[in-house]
Amino acid sequence: MAEKKRTQVEDIDRSMYDFRYDDSDAEKLDAGLTPEIVREISERKGEPEWMLEHRLKSLEIYNSIDMSDWGPSIDGLDMENIVTYVKPNTDQKSDWESVPDNIKDTFDRLGIPEAERSYLAGVGAQYDSELVYHSMQDAAAKMGIVYSGIEEALHGEYADLIREKFMTLIPPTDHKFAALHGAVWSGGSFVYVPKGVKLDYPLQSYFRLNAKGAGQFEHTLIIVEDDADLHFIEGCSAPKYNVANLHAGAVELFVGKRAHLRYSTIENWSKNMYNLNTKRCRCEEEGEIEWISGSFGSHVGYLYPMSILAGRRAKASFTGITFAGRGQNLDTGCKVVLGAPETSASVETKGISKDGGIQTFRSSVVATPNAEGSRCTVSCQSLMLDNRSRSDTIPAMDIRCKNVNIGHEATIGRIGDDKVFYLMSRGISEEEAKTMIVNGFAEPISKELPLEYAVEMNNLIKLEMEGAIG
Amino acid sequence: MGTHALTIKRASAMPAPTWHFLKMNDTQIEIPEGLAVAPSVKVSEPWRARGAADEFDNALADAQEEWEKLHPEPTPQEREELEAFTRAEADATYGGTAQSNYQIGADALEEARSLAVAFEHGVGEEAAAYLRFAAGERVVVQTDPGQSVEAQVVVSAVPDALSVAAIDVVAGRNSSVSLSIVVDSPDVPASAGASGFAGTTVRVFADADARVSIVRTQTLDLGFTDIDDMGLFAHDRARIDVRQTVLGAGSTFTGLAGDLRGDSANIVVDTRYLGHADQEHDFNYVLRHHGTRTECNLGANGVLAGKSSKTLRGTIDLIRGAKGAQGSENETVLLVDEGVKNKTVPVILCNEDDVAGNHGATIGHIREEQLLYLQSRGLSKDDAERMFVGAMIEQAAIDAPDEESRAGVLRLGETVIPGFAELFEEEA
Repeated sequence: MAEKKRTQVEDIDRSMYDFRYDDSDAEKLDAGLTPEIVREISERKGEPEWMLEHRLKSLEIYNSIDMSDWGPSIDGLDMENIVTYVKPNTDQKSDWESVPDNIKDTFDRLGIPEAERSYLAGVGAQYDSELVYHSMQDAAAKMGIVYSGIEEALHGEYADLIREKFMTLIPPTDHKFAALHGAVWSGGSFVYVPKGVKLDYPLQSYFRLNAKGAGQFEHTLIIVEDDADLHFIEGCSAPKYNVANLHAGAVELFVGKRAHLRYSTIENWSKNMYNLNTKRCRCEEEGEIEWISGSFGSHVGYLYPMSILAGRRAKASFTGITFAGRGQNLDTGCKVVLGAPETSASVETKGISKDGGIQTFRSSVVATPNAEGSRCTVSCQSLMLDNRSRSDTIPAMDIRCKNVNIGHEATIGRIGDDKVFYLMSRGISEEEAKTMIVNGFAEPISKELPLEYAVEMNNLIKLEMEGAIG
Repeated sequence: MGTHALTIKRASAMPAPTWHFLKMNDTQIEIPEGLAVAPSVKVSEPWRARGAADEFDNALADAQEEWEKLHPEPTPQEREELEAFTRAEADATYGGTAQSNYQIGADALEEARSLAVAFEHGVGEEAAAYLRFAAGERVVVQTDPGQSVEAQVVVSAVPDALSVAAIDVVAGRNSSVSLSIVVDSPDVPASAGASGFAGTTVRVFADADARVSIVRTQTLDLGFTDIDDMGLFAHDRARIDVRQTVLGAGSTFTGLAGDLRGDSANIVVDTRYLGHADQEHDFNYVLRHHGTRTECNLGANGVLAGKSSKTLRGTIDLIRGAKGAQGSENETVLLVDEGVKNKTVPVILCNEDDVAGNHGATIGHIREEQLLYLQSRGLSKDDAERMFVGAMIEQAAIDAPDEESRAGVLRLGETVIPGFAELFEEEA
């Protein structure tokens, strides 16, 4: 039997992200992780005492917890070599002209200022460990919305609120890298949307890790009060180095009664990145969280945004795509807790693996005894583009309530010959047919993204077809 | 002399684990101290020990030779090229793809190129070894090419004892074996509150074009613990059907592992279970596709009532080279009462692109329209819920392959629904 020619899907073109600037003028702490380093980070930030205690306690927890044994290997990550704090040679600015040229140029090339001008209500830009730019339109500020650096907010009128919420959804005991985050977190955003306020345009935070061998540990805390509405976009990238970089951020989202939050992420870290990020949302009565998630970059990824539906009729949806290419092991998915009556959740994910890449969909759906009348559907599809790659699906369901409706379905396969044949019989070339099929596979996700991000995603997945099947 | 207390940790472990907080990755089996080892296994004549004790191992060794001829080891030159490629890959991809422990283990298993090493037991090697030890003499059912046989093994559990059968089925080319396994505690009065252990460990070798059908019916009293272990090997075009009916016992551990090694091999598993009272059921299935165009179908249907709980781990592994393979897994769980707990983790592992794998699970209460219909026929909600419990037992009685199995189902049905046996006989 003749060898079948395979669909050739090019790896993601990262050249637009793979540029770097000299970081010799940045202030760096020593590599490794010690109480002295943690104290120094806290001191440099002039933090309240409770935060220093929190950091030191987290460090103790970090040292006492083993790394998980079920996911991708992190043997290539040696914390002794990771610089946990790198301060760029600037303070936070609120106009791009004041930002140093090399940093401004970085964000220009990533299209952030342009996006801000065209469709965003506010932007936060983090470069290594610190925010370098933060700005929000006056109209949003007049509505009472707060969008600032979280460290800045720790000293302002929301200090008590931040203390009340900080790392309560993601306690340092949750896992080893949540503890690490608790010890060395730096930068990140704080968003507060008052009751009844609905923002028509998104806010966006962009995280850029420039320094070699560094870690980024930003903390995002968003509180959307009752009846309010927000769309928040997060983007991230880094140049590629030949040593490990680490991202262990944390995102804590609180959605009030009847409030709505859409949280969109395009993750495109470089292939030397260990992305061990944690995201969690708690929804009150009739509150709704929508996660849109694209995972394209990183050498290793562990990412499972979690929705805790704590109030009656709270809703969650998770729409995600993961593309694992050469040298990547991306373990992604989501967690859902149906913790109150009549809650509902839907999960739809797509995974593509090629050229030796490994992508794993991992999920958990837990229905507590309180989840009377709740429902959840999980749908997961994986596409294998060659037989050097790997695609695994590990969904778990723990149901402890009688009157619930839980459905799960998953499929794994390759581009079907019959589909290609059908399209060819309609006069479409084979290459075009395959392109259409792969694009169609990703389409349910890309259509949920803001237009500019959908375009970016389409640019990321550049398709090149050749040859014929069979 | 009785048994020593023993805890078998990480029994029935799924190959690719997930978060530990879910407590689903594996289970633990506690063997109490002081159980007598009871000779309570009855084998239908004339098939007892028809085959020699090493029949299974010999068949696997023959298959190994055959397999090696078809899958020769790489030549030194090919190996060198492969290693050079791996090194180049590692240099280009930041040390190579950061495989997880189970991914490394899966590759190592394939590199071992040994059918015996790859042969697995559903409950894990430690638990299976214990069952083999407790069973003593092995029951071997063996067929010559083209032959057709039926056999039955009855394990009658007795209180304060360990009653175990170790069974090998070695089906020759183009032969057929039908095996019924009955695990019951017929002589224990319902009110006695007796406890004990029962179990079976079964190895199946189905040679090319063989057909093997196993029906296991378990109807132990609630004081008992049952361990149902199976390991299956399917050669070219062989088909193995397994039906497991799990109705009784306070704790059950059901494990099945299958190696679809031959091209176009087929394994079908049909599991039916009822959870009532405080029963705890644990199921683990691992089906590994090696051969081309192999097919597996794993179906599980259950009803959980009372305060019962159940965990089901089902793994379909589509291994590189299994071109044209299809794996399918489907589970339906009906939750009848408050207080039931259901855990399900249907896994597909895949490193071959030319395959189709799918799984589905539906977990919930009686559908609204079903309930409305039944209520319109005069049934209360509670009656309707009980009806589904009765239906599960009734179906088991209808499908029972022999009198012993049916008697066990009716006896157990009577303890769950008083008057069940009489009603069933009337309807029949």
